[in-house]
Amino acid sequence: MRQYAALSRRAVVNLLRQPTSVVPSLLFPLLFLALTSSAFDRSTALPGFPQVESFLQFVVATTIVQGALFGSIAAGSDMATDIEDGFFDRLVASPVARTSILVGRVMGSMVFGFMQAWLFFGITSLFGLNVRSGIIGMAAISLVSALLAGGIGAVSVAFALRTGSAEAVRGAFPLLFSFLFLSSAFFPRDLMNGWFKSVASLNPLSYMIEGLRSQVITGLDAGGLAAAAGVAFGILVVGTSAAGLALSRRLTANF
Amino acid sequence: MEREPSDNPIVTEGLVRRFGAIEAVAGVDLSVGRGEIFGFLGPNGAGKSTMVRMLTTLLRPSAGRALVGGHDVVRDADAVRRSIGVALQDAAIDPLMTGRELLSLQAVLHGIDKTEGRRRGDELLETVGLTGAAGRRVGTYSGGMKRRLDLALALVHKPNILFLDEPTTGLDPNSRIALWDEVRVLNTHSGATVFLTTQYMEEADQLAGRIAIIDDGRIVAEGTPAELKSRVGDPTLRVVLQSDQDAVSAEAALLRLGEPVADSPGHVSIRLAGGASRVAAAARALEDAGIQIEGLELRSPTLDDVFHIATGRRLEGTAAEDAEPEEAESSAP
Repeated sequence: MRQYAALSRRAVVNLLRQPTSVVPSLLFPLLFLALTSSAFDRSTALPGFPQVESFLQFVVATTIVQGALFGSIAAGSDMATDIEDGFFDRLVASPVARTSILVGRVMGSMVFGFMQAWLFFGITSLFGLNVRSGIIGMAAISLVSALLAGGIGAVSVAFALRTGSAEAVRGAFPLLFSFLFLSSAFFPRDLMNGWFKSVASLNPLSYMIEGLRSQVITGLDAGGLAAAAGVAFGILVVGTSAAGLALSRRLTANF
Repeated sequence: MEREPSDNPIVTEGLVRRFGAIEAVAGVDLSVGRGEIFGFLGPNGAGKSTMVRMLTTLLRPSAGRALVGGHDVVRDADAVRRSIGVALQDAAIDPLMTGRELLSLQAVLHGIDKTEGRRRGDELLETVGLTGAAGRRVGTYSGGMKRRLDLALALVHKPNILFLDEPTTGLDPNSRIALWDEVRVLNTHSGATVFLTTQYMEEADQLAGRIAIIDDGRIVAEGTPAELKSRVGDPTLRVVLQSDQDAVSAEAALLRLGEPVADSPGHVSIRLAGGASRVAAAARALEDAGIQIEGLELRSPTLDDVFHIATGRRLEGTAAEDAEPEEAESSAP
């Protein structure tokens, strides 16, 4: 257990000591938040738009998901750096449990995803954000954010283990960006039409964001929360399985 | 001092590692005795790192077998990992962490409890002279400090067997000598067996009790430095002539004292039969022949001569390629 905790701690320390990898994942979502809540504020008056106090209230769930997505890329790029620099070999040459190499990174992402959600709540509350489900809802959203960060962290770690290149991992960034845009992240699905609506309806991120959004704009909603947590958990399961497979492939490729 | 192979901490039999069609290690038999500092000397790309990676369970041998600490590196890799300390040439130290943090992480990785880990960390920082820098991030350390920390990291769990892969490559002469001292002290105090790879013959000569010279994946010579050098034979006497025109007569005058060795213009060299005691005779022979000389140099055989005799090439000069990583393919997935 101590090995898992020590490697998770190292992952968090890695993140916090590299402002260049952490700041963009905090700044970009906040920038988007500022931009969309001022530009689209009047769209909340459109017929069919959910009942919200402001666009900020509508979009804050997206900001949290976006932060979790972007922040977790660092787990993969840090893992790839470990491989490139040989720190990975140092771990492999020690009797440490192989799974802890992986779990450490995923746990690190989860801690970061959790803290980041609270940071976003803190900042947006200064601008008048009202979360209808209150502190319990915020805690629930932060936990889902942690699950999602762990899941995306695991996917990026899997990618790092397969490619061994930090640059390749960072190259996946635009992919996540598109994934987010092709969802109901910035607009309600009810107001979409055509192929965009179909794609957004197929995108699991839509259900996750809508589930979290519902806690903010309507109050505690068990169904929405279950959907959001389910999507995050699904990504976590798929991500850790892929990463586990990639790890054992990398270890057996040489050994 | 032969021991039973099973008793020795490092034993390999017909060890082979192929990368595609290339045989990086081509059938190596080795036996390293307990408490020995064993030098594995060879030029870049000779197969040193591949060998270390197999012995430290990072790379699976293609054929043959290796026992480290009495455990098979393939079948009992975990037991091997518990008994070894490893400082790899290309295994960087996380620049974002402090020396002390890395030592305590390493202690945890080896299952050492917190208090003991901290005590051990402080002790090792003291040993390698990094107490003052313990709280600083490794990114701010000099090359020599990083190598010393690397050595400390390899020692956290008091391993019986220590692998040092090119521990001084890229270091300035002072740091190199300081690290040699540390390895010696450590070997004397803890009695740990040290397997050291190097491309510097001086390093192998200074540190190792026994040396294997590897070239093209094969061991070309093995023995104590003195044994290896004695195989080369007599020392070389080099005459620096005032005039190159005397070269032929100088060689003729010295012929009865030893076999000529090829040298550059203005110089005549022979393998001086009987060694240093015959220098005076050589000087007399030159004087009798009326040859004006600028100087005489007597040079004992070096490991480079050993390498030269075994391979027809020189080790010297390969060190200039320091920065080149050895066997890049061995770290590829």
